[in-house]
Amino acid sequence: MLSPVKIWRNQKKIASLLGAQGELVVWTIIRVPPDGFSDQAPYPVGLIKLDEGKTVIAQLVDVSEGDLAKGLRFRLVVRRITEPSTEGVIPYGIKAVPQTY
Amino acid sequence: MKISILGTGMTKFGELWGISPRTLAREAVNDALSDAGIVQKDIDLLIVGNMLSALLGNQQHIGALFAEELGLSCAAFTVEGACASGGLAVHTAVMGLLSGQYKTACVLGIEKMTDHKPELVSSALMAAGTNEERLSGGTFPGMYALLARSHMSAFGTTSEDLASVAVKNHYHGSLNPKAQYQNQITIEQVLKSGCIADPLKLLDCSPMTDGAAAVIVTSKKTAKKSVTIEASFVATDSLGLSTRASLTELSSSRKAAYKAFHQAGIKPKDCDIAEVHDCFTIAELLALEDLGFYQKGKASSAVRAGEVTHGSSKHLVVNTSGGLKACGHPVGATGVKQIVELADQMRGRCGKRQVHKADIGIAHNVGGSGATAVVHVVKRNG
Repeated sequence: MLSPVKIWRNQKKIASLLGAQGELVVWTIIRVPPDGFSDQAPYPVGLIKLDEGKTVIAQLVDVSEGDLAKGLRFRLVVRRITEPSTEGVIPYGIKAVPQTY
Repeated sequence: MKISILGTGMTKFGELWGISPRTLAREAVNDALSDAGIVQKDIDLLIVGNMLSALLGNQQHIGALFAEELGLSCAAFTVEGACASGGLAVHTAVMGLLSGQYKTACVLGIEKMTDHKPELVSSALMAAGTNEERLSGGTFPGMYALLARSHMSAFGTTSEDLASVAVKNHYHGSLNPKAQYQNQITIEQVLKSGCIADPLKLLDCSPMTDGAAAVIVTSKKTAKKSVTIEASFVATDSLGLSTRASLTELSSSRKAAYKAFHQAGIKPKDCDIAEVHDCFTIAELLALEDLGFYQKGKASSAVRAGEVTHGSSKHLVVNTSGGLKACGHPVGATGVKQIVELADQMRGRCGKRQVHKADIGIAHNVGGSGATAVVHVVKRNG
């Protein structure tokens, strides 16, 4: 269960990553998702090397599978992460959209 | 090191809906005790390797639980390191014996995975990853898929290469009556199986498994020394993949193996048998390279040529048990089962899968996507 406190604490980290840009290093398509992600599968997850230097892992959205390629530019945005739990907290976090989007 | 393996035991691995964890533990440990020719009161340390009892079974404190169940009144506690929990449990027992505080230890690796729906188990296993990996919707097949694609991109490794690992390990599983899968498969079947996380197919992945394995180890000078543990090392790397220096190796495996070979005074080429961590087919290729059996990018052609297959290998045979792929992967039990397989091979107890010469063996157990690696060197004496 995602604690609302943990979500609140993570907001600073999310804010620091928002808008960061970088290149796709490697990706996969998750076809058998974990709990909470069933309504989104299949979806791509990839490692993005940010221009600032560090590499992050994120779900890739608003991009079709056929367009995925090493070096494709992405930008980090805030999105809903999973189906809301019964406690009613909607978990938001980072996902990556193609920079041209 | 002067640690002897006195006895081994393991349950059938598989989907064991009718069998409780307590029963699994009793079966594995009682087999190991009778094999060792000792009784409960001779044990002064119980180490349990387990990952998911709290996450799936809502039960922690299982050191005491299993001590009670097994009739042991000694020190008992759990060691956790994701899928390396079993190997870490063996390591902890060895350290306990080397300290001199304990003389004879029982190591129990145990996991009950199939009682729950796969999405739940998949999420529970992701407790071994980072928060960022979980928030991305990643899964363990997904993390190893990223490693597979990186390996393919760097060395031209193909899906057929990956599939050949599964084909080999199912062949070995077909010779092991305790394996979860005893059916042989073909490369075509692997390639046609459903995709889990591209490029990994269903038959590239180890299954969810129930099972337990146990070994009895001792430091007593009077003990028979037919099979001994010559080295035991643990190494770690970053918890998640995004901060790794390389995606085409698991540096934790490399570091632990280097130290273990050094301590045992042997080289990779001296090994006759190896139980390596093939949670996914790519993981066996990474292991064969990281442990030093093959140069980077060279393991796949060797596996396809049958160089590490029982019957066609000229020397090293890899994953005679069927590995995690075919024997099954009850995560906390796997690292202990690897030691069971090596010791049983060295004592000529492996029936149809018995290798001709089994004098030196290596067990390689990985937690997460390479955050933890445990390597043991096991040797037959005389």
